Amino acid sequence: MKTMNRWSRREFLRTASAATVAALGAGYPRRLLAAENTTDKIKPTADTVIVLWMAGGMAHTETFDPKRHTPFEKGMSPEGLYSTFPTIDTTVDNIKACQGLEKIARVMDRGTLIRSYTAGDLGFILHSRHQYQWHTGYAPPQTVAAPHIGAIIARTLGPLSPAVPAFINIGQRFDVGEGEELKAFTTAGFLGSEYGPFNIPYPDQAAQTVRPPGGMSPDRFQDRNKFYKRLVAASPIGEFGSDYQKESLERSFANAHRLLSSPAAKAFDLSLEPKESVKKYLPEGVDPGQSVSATQSRDGSYERQTMGRFGLGCLLARRLAEVGARYIEVTTEYIPFLNWDTHENGHTKLADLKKQIDAPIGQLVLDLEERGLLDRTLIVLASEFSRDSLVEGKPDKKVKDQVPVPDKIEDMKNYGMHRHFTDAGCVLLFGGGIKKGHLHGKTADERPCKTIEKRVVIEDLHASIFRAAGISPKLAYEIEKRPFYVTRDGEGKPIMELFG
Amino acid sequence: MLLLAGLVGSGRAELTPEQVTRLPAPANRPVSFRQDIKPILEASCVKCHGRGRNKGGFRVDSRETVLKGGESGPAALSGKSAESYLIELVSGIDPDNVMPKKGSKLTPEQVGLLRAWIDQGLPWDSDVSFGRMQPQNLTPRTPEVPDAKHGGLSRPIDRIIGRYFEANHIARPPSVADRVFARRVYLDVIGLLPAPKELERFAADKGADKRARLVKRLLADDQRYAEHWLTFWNDALRNDYKGTGYIDGGRKQISAWLFEALVRNLPYDQFVAQLINPTAESEGFTKGIIWRGVVNASQTPQMQAAQNISQVFMGVNLKCASCHDSFINDWTLADAYGLANIYSDEPLEVFQCDKPIGRKAATKFIYPELGDIDAAAPKADRLKQLSEIITGKKDGRLSRTVVNRLWAKFFGRGLVEPVDDMEQPAWNNDLLDWLAEDLVAHGYDLKHTIEQILTSQSYQLPSVGLSEQQEKVFVFRGPSVRRLSAEQFVDGVAALTGNWHAKPAGEFDFTCVDPDARNTGSGLKGKWIWSEAAAAQSAPTGAVYFRRIITLAHVPTQAMAVVACDNSFTLYVNGKNAGSGKEYKNPALIDLRPHLRKGTNVLAVAAINSPPSGDKTATNSTDNAAGLYFHARLRQGRKILDFGSDKSWLWANDKDEGWKKPDFGVTDWKPAIELGDAAMLPWKLEKKLAQTVAGTVMQGKARAALVTADPLMIGLGRPNREQVTTSRPSAATTLQMLELTNGKTLSELLQKGAAKLVENGLSGRQLVERLYLQALGRKPTGDEWRLAEELIGSSVQKEEVEDLLWAMLMLPEFQLIY
Repeated sequence: MKTMNRWSRREFLRTASAATVAALGAGYPRRLLAAENTTDKIKPTADTVIVLWMAGGMAHTETFDPKRHTPFEKGMSPEGLYSTFPTIDTTVDNIKACQGLEKIARVMDRGTLIRSYTAGDLGFILHSRHQYQWHTGYAPPQTVAAPHIGAIIARTLGPLSPAVPAFINIGQRFDVGEGEELKAFTTAGFLGSEYGPFNIPYPDQAAQTVRPPGGMSPDRFQDRNKFYKRLVAASPIGEFGSDYQKESLERSFANAHRLLSSPAAKAFDLSLEPKESVKKYLPEGVDPGQSVSATQSRDGSYERQTMGRFGLGCLLARRLAEVGARYIEVTTEYIPFLNWDTHENGHTKLADLKKQIDAPIGQLVLDLEERGLLDRTLIVLASEFSRDSLVEGKPDKKVKDQVPVPDKIEDMKNYGMHRHFTDAGCVLLFGGGIKKGHLHGKTADERPCKTIEKRVVIEDLHASIFRAAGISPKLAYEIEKRPFYVTRDGEGKPIMELFG
Repeated sequence: MLLLAGLVGSGRAELTPEQVTRLPAPANRPVSFRQDIKPILEASCVKCHGRGRNKGGFRVDSRETVLKGGESGPAALSGKSAESYLIELVSGIDPDNVMPKKGSKLTPEQVGLLRAWIDQGLPWDSDVSFGRMQPQNLTPRTPEVPDAKHGGLSRPIDRIIGRYFEANHIARPPSVADRVFARRVYLDVIGLLPAPKELERFAADKGADKRARLVKRLLADDQRYAEHWLTFWNDALRNDYKGTGYIDGGRKQISAWLFEALVRNLPYDQFVAQLINPTAESEGFTKGIIWRGVVNASQTPQMQAAQNISQVFMGVNLKCASCHDSFINDWTLADAYGLANIYSDEPLEVFQCDKPIGRKAATKFIYPELGDIDAAAPKADRLKQLSEIITGKKDGRLSRTVVNRLWAKFFGRGLVEPVDDMEQPAWNNDLLDWLAEDLVAHGYDLKHTIEQILTSQSYQLPSVGLSEQQEKVFVFRGPSVRRLSAEQFVDGVAALTGNWHAKPAGEFDFTCVDPDARNTGSGLKGKWIWSEAAAAQSAPTGAVYFRRIITLAHVPTQAMAVVACDNSFTLYVNGKNAGSGKEYKNPALIDLRPHLRKGTNVLAVAAINSPPSGDKTATNSTDNAAGLYFHARLRQGRKILDFGSDKSWLWANDKDEGWKKPDFGVTDWKPAIELGDAAMLPWKLEKKLAQTVAGTVMQGKARAALVTADPLMIGLGRPNREQVTTSRPSAATTLQMLELTNGKTLSELLQKGAAKLVENGLSGRQLVERLYLQALGRKPTGDEWRLAEELIGSSVQKEEVEDLLWAMLMLPEFQLIY
């Protein structure tokens, strides 16, 4: 680590112990800037970051990196299986996409497509480990609780508006599937829970998260707060003097109250959005009235779970961006074997899934543009890795197969991309200073369709996102007396070609 | 050109005269070792050649070692700087061979100073050494305790602090009031708020030693002590009931072992020995979290074991040294691997920054002065040796680390900070040493040390706000204001609202706190029964119906049934479906109480013997065992009135109309056949059954520490125990406040609680007083009365009670420990 050598160990320890008393008091790790970056002022090009998380492994050849279309033929060989969808044009001449993504295709000229994202080599492919690496920049296990990039952004930049939590996570439930593994990286980690995620698993119920609890009227809520303030004033605690604990209680109470009673809280309430507008975020034929009040069951049934939930999440993200959100993540949700995690019926499932994401993403870009917010809002669409019909891992780093592949495809069940492919991947970027109508990276047209130009790895992708937000990739936070860098070992390099 | 061949041991070619002229000139004045030379050595040499490191066989530890040199011969010739190898290297005259290898090169001025220093004979201040520092807080040491003259204080802790206060010109304020003291010790020993009646008794007690007696009494409450300290040790030992790694068997709980160890107050040295050299019950800690796929070499299970053991028990951070020689302390890669190697069957391949360096690890203990491990011995022996070294008499670090953690818990800040860096000096080493030696002298009894601390005058000092700590160097003035932990808060809410958790999670074994089990062995009353004697080997498939009538003088305070049936059952109590079960390995726990009444009650069970392994057509197969096991745990106040399945139960093959009802005429039902007791084959279910029965001691009243984390607890700081946690941040955060203000978990607890309180039929005044006494240990002040009564009004309504409860829970006076 180059930067550490500029400090004498003693000097570092000395400053650490002087700060220790204050740090102990506040309980938060202090920030370290590598010496060479104190003069490097990065001008942010985005105030808000929205990550659209295609959890489960989004197949590149079925979405934004089409290869030749190989329609289903009973008895076809998996080797001859390329895209199961026909190719469509986008508003950028040299970028084609797959059928089903027409609305996103229409706004392609507002953004950049990366086709060469490659995931790390973590051995046996586990979604949780790759998702952890994508979201923290580090592969688990780690010796400290690594923070989510949303928490890093929240900690470094603070909230954009004091009334909106700086890190909002929409669309993921934590009590089903691999909830424990997800919790491990959906956290502020050692940065402290002040910067943790505000979780909204059901966007249509988001209003509840900023409303008084179950059944309490706004009047009663306000009265309760007034009563509380008077009760505190009457408490004889004054005799104990002031202290940082009491101060932090008072301060955080005030923050929470401000959030709950501010006009910005209305942004959480999707029922306030005109129905015509809501419709644009939903798959065709889905009734907005029905979606907004639908009870979400928890049995993992794909159809019931995703009826517009992602689309409403995008709508919620737009409304929050309008009132000053800092980092929002909207996910199609990771539940093993659901959504993008297609171990079978890849084509059929993706046809449905693309209906879920196409309209809302296209609309999100258009709506932000219309409101003059797109230039300062960075949208990132990504997934932990891609899929292929044959290769598990990378062609030169194959790992244990998890999905059996028949010699011949007889059934729709085997028609699709079912294996975990880490040697290519699509990342779509809009707004926030990103070049318009640009293509970065290339994959092979022949199997295996791996990255052949301009490979992008996670630390560089993060460095680019951080650059847009105005954060140095060498920024570090001190934990247990050591620096913890926001990109792996401070090595991330922003991909400057992506910026306009 | 300089010849660098043949350097080892045999001197080397000198610089040419031309090269000598290019060297920076020696400084033209007497140099001060301290001012001029020491900083250069520290900044540019010590990292690789000091503090135990000796790259190239060379150390800068002392004048002698510098003159001696290393593999390349002497580094300096006294009086002859131009001929000194050290100067050649730092001057950069050979661009391929410059020192230091890493970091900034020396300036010409610095080289000139070194030249002058060498020419002046290498003066070296005798008190300066760059050698391996003697580890702090490692060796046993009994400090001198000031005599009792100091302020009339009798206890050593107070006499030591008395002298400290004098030296720092701090006047000792009077001890805190009874109420404040009681709240502190209840929360610190058993994690619960003091009950109003107990507070009253305590206040009325006129005995001079009442505080000491209170502490003793609380420490003797084994179950509640264990339930509270479980949180601290779960955090430190990275133990949880759910979490990453369980999904594929890569992780194991130590919950049952830990809980019992706390109940029995297992001496700390044995506690640690059993974790380092574990049995099946305690191996989960050193087993680590095993991940599928490729894992960084620094995170293999053996490396995790080394990191966790050294952090928790020895207060040492080997995490950095697991990848490379540490930059923040003096631990090396060899140290981390040496310890990890003990946990490996075969010597580990050493990786630096995740790349193999072509060497295998050499087994060694991190403090060789305490003892060594026989690398050739089998792993079982190595683990035994390791546990003996760490818990042995020579190891003063074990005791110092744990007493420091205890002190930090009670005072909000350790004697050494951070608590995982025990090589730092304490703000009072005499106190640290005294506490440690006292622990050892009392058989490593942690409760003894807790008692020592909690009965000291120092613990009874008024609390201090950390914002008052303006000095750069910490000065102790008393305990810090602390905050309720997540578990203490949730248990506090439970005490006020009556809403405890329904049952414990985790793999616990509560026989250690079940009074009945302690008196009568397993306490299991039932026998396996069926309709025929050979059922344990094989019985026909199909249903068998059982009935049992019980007569109760009163409805018991608790009535739970533990039922196991091969293969499935449904239980009816007085005709109502009370519960069912499909998997005998996981005995069902059914609450009978809602269905019971005074007088005659009927238990009716429909028990089904399914065909083996899903073969739906087979009948009378030889492999088809069948049996029903039933144990009812009935408590009437303190009395246990258990009964179980036996031949007093009646059975039939057909269920006639009304078979579940009491008035059923049972003339042709026969007595059940007893197959054997709980331990019998093929089920071997005694342990699980006994555990489940013992678990009923908690039924409906499980404390927060025993259940999995919910959003409220997580919001309040309960960690994800994927890493060892030795301290939790306590400052309030906005997200926490959101959870407390409108989160569902707390809101539902308050709603249920308010409903119960309203049902009690207390008047508004009684309710307010009761809540204040329970939550804060005092009656409301005049102003508080007025406010509360304004809210509650004349008729006690659920919503107002909810709001009052909530406001009281949000008070700093409730959430903080003054």
